[in-house]
Amino acid sequence: MKRVVLLFAAILAIGVAANAQGLAIGGKMENFSLTDANGKAQTLNDVKGTNGTVIIFVSSQCPVVRAYNERMNQIATDYKAKGINVIGVNANVTESPMEIKMHGEATYKFPVLIDKNSVLAEKINANNTPEAFFVDSKNVLLYHGAIDNDRSGRNVTEPYLRNAFEAALAGKKVEKASTVAFGCTIKKPGDGN
Amino acid sequence: MLVRFLMTATLLAVVYDGALAQKASATATIASADGTAPVAAKAAPAILSKVTQIDIVGLKKLIKPTGRPLLINFWATWCPPCTEEFPDLVKIDTDYRGKLDVITVSLDDLADIDSYVPKFLAEMKAEMPAYLLHTKDEGAAIRLIAKDWSGNLPMTVLYDGSGSVAYMRNGKIRVQPLRDNIDKLLSPPATTK
Repeated sequence: MKRVVLLFAAILAIGVAANAQGLAIGGKMENFSLTDANGKAQTLNDVKGTNGTVIIFVSSQCPVVRAYNERMNQIATDYKAKGINVIGVNANVTESPMEIKMHGEATYKFPVLIDKNSVLAEKINANNTPEAFFVDSKNVLLYHGAIDNDRSGRNVTEPYLRNAFEAALAGKKVEKASTVAFGCTIKKPGDGN
Repeated sequence: MLVRFLMTATLLAVVYDGALAQKASATATIASADGTAPVAAKAAPAILSKVTQIDIVGLKKLIKPTGRPLLINFWATWCPPCTEEFPDLVKIDTDYRGKLDVITVSLDDLADIDSYVPKFLAEMKAEMPAYLLHTKDEGAAIRLIAKDWSGNLPMTVLYDGSGSVAYMRNGKIRVQPLRDNIDKLLSPPATTK
């Protein structure tokens, strides 16, 4: 009985730790369901690309995201033909569905899904905009982090996300699988926004 | 001739300074008509705060323990929660001056070090030392501050005199918990009579 209790406690502890750390490289992103700009439910499996999918957390207000808009569109265009889909996700509770819809339609060449109450962001521990999660065709996380190493776009020397795509398409290991960069905080419920 | 030159040069300097600090309401001086002692100007533009550029080595030096508690705030002019919380940080700096070191580290573009950043600080009447972090490896700087930080702003860290983290807030500060933690650090240990 004591052993069962200990085992249960260990499983619980592992579960809590995994939740606190979000989705780790090599972990599988669970299928999710978010609504698109027209209020229609879209699952990860509905929107995924044949060779992978990148979920990029965006914001219609964050100036850092604005600086990346053109680069994100270019990435979406360049890799659509190669079977990698770009999906924007807006998890900011401070931005209304109408604002997200209008901004998304006017700005992006890829769909932006609404993560109501930041459920997906909480689940995979997304905190920043822009923040990218690139999964392969089996939804296994290959890369997590910044799009590149220069917010301004003037001095990009390491296009992290493109490098991850190229490695994945070539069947190679993603060398830099995790990065962090300064950006805007995703406004989640209870954050005192 | 000399007087006319001095007046023209001074006027140009005031116009330039005023352009940088459009909304600020601090003081400045202009030369008197006879070119001798300066006199205070009415509704004069702000004296811009000095913002010092640092890299990761400089950041390490900043957080090196000095025996006195340190409050460090990472922010940017492009980050609305950062600018919203700034008056509270200025008030904390004023209230705890001499007992707590308060410093701010901007993540603005280096091009803004002599314009938007000092202009905002002048508007806030911020007197704490101000820095701008410019590094090619933002990830290293982010990890130096907190292992699990994704780089989202604002970020505020309170260190005790020995350099241990006493309190950390990623997102807009909550004033009372922050003050409570500062008070706790500053409160003298109970003495026995």
